[in-house]
This record gives sequence, structure tokens and C-alpha cells, in this order.
Amino acid sequence: MKIFKIIFLIILSIIFSNCAFANEQDLIKENEIQTKINTCAYKILNSNQIQNKIIFTYDDTEKKTTLNNNKALLNREVIVYGDIYKNIENDDELAAFLSRGIVIATRSYNGVANGFLRSLQIKAAPKKFEIVADKRAVDYMVKSGYHPIGLITFIQKTVSQRRQDVISTHNLASKRLAIIYEYIYTKYPYYLKENPYFNSESYQNFLLTSLNNRKLLEEKIKNNSKENLKYE
Amino acid sequence: MNKILITIITFLYFTFPANCLENDFIVDEFLLNKNLEEPYINTNYNYQSTKYIPIKILITEPIKSEKDIYEGQILKFKTVENVFENRKIIIKKDTLIAARVETIIRNGMNGIPASIIIGNFQIPEINSNNLQFEFEKYGLDLSLLVFPIKWALTPLPPLGSLTNFIKGGHAKIKQNQIITINYYLNSLPK
Repeated sequence: MKIFKIIFLIILSIIFSNCAFANEQDLIKENEIQTKINTCAYKILNSNQIQNKIIFTYDDTEKKTTLNNNKALLNREVIVYGDIYKNIENDDELAAFLSRGIVIATRSYNGVANGFLRSLQIKAAPKKFEIVADKRAVDYMVKSGYHPIGLITFIQKTVSQRRQDVISTHNLASKRLAIIYEYIYTKYPYYLKENPYFNSESYQNFLLTSLNNRKLLEEKIKNNSKENLKYE
Repeated sequence: MNKILITIITFLYFTFPANCLENDFIVDEFLLNKNLEEPYINTNYNYQSTKYIPIKILITEPIKSEKDIYEGQILKFKTVENVFENRKIIIKKDTLIAARVETIIRNGMNGIPASIIIGNFQIPEINSNNLQFEFEKYGLDLSLLVFPIKWALTPLPPLGSLTNFIKGGHAKIKQNQIITINYYLNSLPK
């Protein structure tokens, strides 16, 4: 009987030590991710002379499928959710996600009532500021040494294509991608020519799915037009 | 023999598209033969001291609305007065400064104003790394007025939605409007 007790105690101690070890492993892993996020984020802030305080948090517990701006506007906090992070393949894509959050958080500092009014405007016109965030994110990425095509591959993988965007608070993913592509073509064509993502599956998929929009841009460039294109 | 040929052709027909890369015809057509410079990257910053000298500038051609310009357009400014560093002139009055339209934000519903973000300032003999990166000019912001009206009318539908038709002001830069950009003394060059 005593032997059984001892065996039982040994089994219990093994189980608890394994749990503690697993928890410690998880903590070390989370700490590594958080350090990576902080390094990338502060590099973006410093490189772009951003004088506003913003914090960055990795959260594996909460699920978010869309890029939500609430925390960035209210708390000046950019949260990298676990289901977003699992789609991030490299530093460029991490910088892409963080840059978008930084744009929104930074804009919440300006204007009337310490940015309260500007935050309301972003909440009232999410479609408009979604495009602003994309464009400014490209600028931030370039200034801090990241490849802006990372934003295209990141959105290609994480943002689903809606049926329409007329009665919606978000733009079509394809429209956003086309606008980002045009923005990079206009301001940073170097990155389209020197493009390490060209052979990647996600960028190839972007090229495949954006054929019509890129044809529109081709016509615009040929005609030397400055009009805003109506991307689909 | 024919069977073998048909098999090979069929095999090639189905496998070729899978191995073929989608080409970027915009790059091939417009960028491939161009010698493009790598954009400036600011990773060698040093914020130990953030002392700066303000530089006052004026636009040479006024902007009446954000609709008249486009992203990437180069704008010209000139300095309003001599700029001194340690009692020595570093930028003379009327020096031409080039800047780029970085982003245009159109005016929107509920009184949301338009804005123009201008950046990439280039002053002769001054390291651009040491200059303030951006300046944003907003149009008339009516949302402070519109939002309370909207909330007050919301209980009486659809009156609250009528404020959607009130648009914010256009972003303008007049020829006599002084813009100040900072010249940081201690930023490390690239």
C-alpha cells in the first residue's frame, strides 16, 4: 500500500513539473515575440521622428479577425493578436502591421481635446482612414528600412475580400491593395523594381488577383493622367 | 508514337501554368530600364539632444485645394529670412526649397477636413536627415460643430443622417502663409 502511495506521489510530481515547464516555455516564447515586436515598433517610431508615446502588446488569448483600431485610438496601444501574428512571416510584414497601428495612434494625438475629435473622425469615417493608414504605413516602413511590399503580402494573406464595399465600413481588400501598389509605384518605384517578394506565393497571388486593377493603372501611367482611379 | 506525343503535350499543358510566374507588366513596361535611386532610410538616428532651429518658409505657388495637387508632386518653397547657427548664416533668405506631397486626405462627410502631408524637404547644403520630416496642413474642421448637431438629431430619424452632407473644408496653402519646419542640429547623417 505504501508503495502505491509513493508511486502516486511520484506521478503527481511529474505531472506538475511538466505543467510548470510548459508554462515557462510559453512565457519564454511570448517574451521572445514581445521583444521582437518592441524592437520593430520602436525602430519605426524613432526612424520617423514620431514624438507620441505608443505601446505595443502581444496578445495570444483574444481573437481578432479584422484590423481593429479601437485600442490604438483610445489607449494609444497597438495590439498584435495571435491570429494576426501567425500570418506574419518576416520583419517586413510585422512592420506593416505595426506601422498601420502607429498611424492611427499618432493621429489620435492631434487636434482638439488632445486628439479626441480626430479620434471621433477616424471612427466616423473608417473607410477613408483605412486608406490613409495604408498609405502612411508605406511611408513609415520605407523610412525605417523595411520593404513596403510586405504590406501588400500581409494584406493579401489576412484581409478577406468582401462582396461589396458600398454599404460597408471597410474597403474591398483588392481596392486597398491596388491603392497601395499605386502609392508605391508613384513614390517608391525602386521597391517594385528591387522586389525580393516577386517569387513569393502570396505576392504572385496578388499579381494574379490584381490583374484588372493593374491594367487600370497601366492606362493611367500611359496617359500621364492624375485622376483617382476607381479600383474594384 | 502519336499516343506518346499526345501524352507529352497534355502533360506540358497542365504543368506549364503551374510553374509559370505571373509577371508584373507595370515593372517590365515602365521601371525595368530606369535607374532608380533607393529612397532615404533613417535608421542612424540619435536623439541625445533634440535642439533645433526653426526655418520659416513660404510656398511659391499657392494651393487652392487638395484637388489641384497629386501625391508625389514636387512643391517649391522659399525661406522667409536668413537662418543662423552660432551667429553664422546657414540658409540665406529666399533660398528655394523643394518638398514632396506625401499624402492627400480628401475632405469627408460630417465636416471632416481635407489635409495635405508635405515632406521630404530639400534645402541646398543642408542634410535632409536633419530636417523635420513632415508638415500637415488641414482644411477647415467643421466636425466640432457637426457632431453635436448629429447627436442631438439622432433621436429624430433620419435627421441625424442629414449632417452627412456637410463636408469639411479643403486644404489650402496661401502664398503668405508661413510654415515652420525644424532643423535638428544633432541628428546623425546617413
